[in-house]
Amino acid sequence: MKKLLVVLTAVVFGGQMYGQTYNTFEPSKTQFMLRGYGHTGFEYMDSGDETESTFLGSAFAPIFLYKHSDRLMFEAELEFVLESDELETGLEYADVMYVLNKNMTVRAGKFLLPFGTFMERLHPAWINRLPNAPLGYGHDGIAPSSGIGVELRGAFDLGGPKLNYSVYSTNGPRIKDGSEEPEEAGILEFENYEDTNLAKAYGGRLGLLPFPDSSTEIGFSAYSTSGTGEEDSEYEDIGAFLFALDFSFVKQISAIGGIVDVKSQFNNSNVDTATFIETHEDGDEEEYSFDNQSNSFYGQLSYRPTMSGNKFIKNLEFVARYSDFKAPEGAEWEEKSTQYAFGLNYWLSWRSVVKLSYQTTETEGGHDGDGLTNTDGLFVHWAIGF
Amino acid sequence: MKIMNKIVIGVILVTTIGATVVSCSSTKKGYSDIPDSETVVAEEGFKLEKSGAQLWGETCNRCHIAPSPADYNDTDWETISLHMRIRANLTEHESKKIEEFLKSAN
Repeated sequence: MKKLLVVLTAVVFGGQMYGQTYNTFEPSKTQFMLRGYGHTGFEYMDSGDETESTFLGSAFAPIFLYKHSDRLMFEAELEFVLESDELETGLEYADVMYVLNKNMTVRAGKFLLPFGTFMERLHPAWINRLPNAPLGYGHDGIAPSSGIGVELRGAFDLGGPKLNYSVYSTNGPRIKDGSEEPEEAGILEFENYEDTNLAKAYGGRLGLLPFPDSSTEIGFSAYSTSGTGEEDSEYEDIGAFLFALDFSFVKQISAIGGIVDVKSQFNNSNVDTATFIETHEDGDEEEYSFDNQSNSFYGQLSYRPTMSGNKFIKNLEFVARYSDFKAPEGAEWEEKSTQYAFGLNYWLSWRSVVKLSYQTTETEGGHDGDGLTNTDGLFVHWAIGF
Repeated sequence: MKIMNKIVIGVILVTTIGATVVSCSSTKKGYSDIPDSETVVAEEGFKLEKSGAQLWGETCNRCHIAPSPADYNDTDWETISLHMRIRANLTEHESKKIEEFLKSAN
């Protein structure tokens, strides 16, 4: 019996000692990280005839990062948003990345498109200085945000100035023919999980940082496809060409005691002219076409008094943004909109911000009507990155 | 639009081939002179290179407020650095120097 107890004791404690001896707690070569961001808030909107106010359900966007080695990585972002009494979910991106050499990285999967910089770099709530995107982005926007395909990207150090590039091929957009939503005939839909024709979209962005302090970046993006309609449909050969110009300037200027941040982007979309069918209330059908050209622009200026001696003032940020959007004349979604937005932010930390913003938007036309609408909005948002 | 499509494809091909040739070509000289020690010391003395802290301030602030080094551990910073290098299209030199700074200051 004694021998049995001795053996059992040796096995139990010996095992633990063995485990302690060899558990060095060294970091593993592969690593999984959960990051992301979330935001919530309150909005009050007044469009003259109609006023509404609502607390916003939290939006939650977890980002999954898996680093397999110093060269191979997987990234994915999910999005959960409470909207119109429903929980909307989405896969913002999910792609594999491999660093080929110091100047080249290949990505494959669903990735954010480098069409300008807003959607790829600046749209997350804890980065965007205002509670919403400028005109021309989002559901009715003209700038593509993501695509499924393959991309090559990288950067070169030119001995002070820097050059970054990205070229890609994706499934491309699908033109809405109006059969399901007549009021959206001619709009390009970029969220296509399966290609509906043989034509792929090709695009890229070139960015130049001309000064050694990386304060300024100028970028040019292009996106093109020779076919946007379904295969064997009359819209199969309707091509599209989009381009964007972007500008960024961020610098701490001692003379004004803080950081100035200027961002702007111009987007232009040109789609081949196509013929669509309008069904009147009496059932008669009429063919129509229009010059399918749209454009949008935004310019934003923000200032943080980071050199102030007062801790409260140091964490403040003042923001102003102008944006406009023009949709084609003659389309059911013809629109001219202009928006001015002003904001006061308080940074609780480098990744958590409370935003107070007033916005006024003038819209002529659009989905909701033909007249002129003025909408004023007051927003209080709280965003956090993690 | 077909012509624009061909131009875009052409630019993509030229960019891809150009980037491949430049990034894969060796920068080493076939034959190099052996520098004397005084020249090497003088050259290093005049070499002005930005610190990781300086690059951290300049580069991260281009999109968001520069992160606090204390918020993540060394292994986390390795993952984040690789992710940001690709996402923000940083040069290898920038991301390595920033990563070294963040790991040394956390």
